[in-house]
Amino acid sequence: MPCDELPDDLMLPWKEAGMNGQVFSPNQLRAEAEKMRAKMRRLYLVVSVGFSTAVASYAIIIFSFHYFHNPLMLIGSSLSLVGFGYLVIDALVKRARALPDLGETDGLRFYRTELERKRDWMRGIGWRLPIVGVAMFLVDLGLIQLLLKTSGFLAGISLSWGVFVLGLCAVWVPVRNSRMARKYQERIDALDSPMRSAGRTDPKG
Amino acid sequence: MDGTESQDELYQKVAQEYGEALARMVWAYEADPELRRDLSQEIHLALWRSLAKFNGRCSLRTWIYRVAHNVATSHIVRQARGKSVGTFLTLEEAEAQAGLEDVEHSADRAQALSRLFALIQQLDLLDRQVIMAYLEGLDAESIAEITGLSAANVWSKIHRIKTLLVRRFHRGVRNAV
Repeated sequence: MPCDELPDDLMLPWKEAGMNGQVFSPNQLRAEAEKMRAKMRRLYLVVSVGFSTAVASYAIIIFSFHYFHNPLMLIGSSLSLVGFGYLVIDALVKRARALPDLGETDGLRFYRTELERKRDWMRGIGWRLPIVGVAMFLVDLGLIQLLLKTSGFLAGISLSWGVFVLGLCAVWVPVRNSRMARKYQERIDALDSPMRSAGRTDPKG
Repeated sequence: MDGTESQDELYQKVAQEYGEALARMVWAYEADPELRRDLSQEIHLALWRSLAKFNGRCSLRTWIYRVAHNVATSHIVRQARGKSVGTFLTLEEAEAQAGLEDVEHSADRAQALSRLFALIQQLDLLDRQVIMAYLEGLDAESIAEITGLSAANVWSKIHRIKTLLVRRFHRGVRNAV
């Protein structure tokens, strides 16, 4: 076999690569860590503002029910609030889940955990997003009912938008995500056999 | 000496001793130069942070390689976004492809080397970890401790990946001469 005749010949070019890696001082890393924390804070702020705006908009629709007097909008906005609330709580719970320790966890277990996390994310969004999609579509249907009294053109635009949102949230994203979740699951299954041969009965342990 | 001081000192020692190995690892994980810089920074940052928690239950070398490989794994899985995670080649697929692949021409040794990195980048993450640790000169027991595979499994993987890489790597070098 070539590898037996030439045992070190891959090591030579590898070591010859003589990479000069980036050099960081502890102070640079400290500053970088602070920069990353600030970036995360900004991201959470943007996401929170986005969710708050959506929640506030649907809450306004509920409170102005007497003005619009449209049951479809009432049901849709209530469902939207529940859907968005569920997404927020779910995101907070996921954020609180502890990640495996980088130095304590071996490569196989860490890789598996990362794949499981991605698979669960894909599956989660795949079935939670349709709730919001259907709810938003109901609001849109209610709006179309109101618009039909004044402008058929605007009602048509609203219907197109509603169909687009429904298709995106209830069909395209779930189908795409479940396909991806399957891919991740296949990778996880492939990792289980080396785990068993390493003498582990519990893939997580 | 307080905790921060010893953490900083330990990091500087680690960066000096393992800097080149970590740089090679980054090259073998990430082809995109921009992302490579990010990954390198991520690894060093994670190392510096983790050294505060180093408890001596395993050797420092095992700890460093675990942190670096695990950060790289997160980076690759994150970058893949579900698409290319299915396109990493299992060893069986890589071996089948090696038999069918057309001979490509490499201009010089540097190109042959980048070819070696490119070949490693095609492998699944666990196989990459095994071959990179092997190329750094680690023995099967140490690789098993880092990856979580059994030593027998590590040996078998090393043998198969090496055969595959030597065959494909030499094809490139021969064409360069």
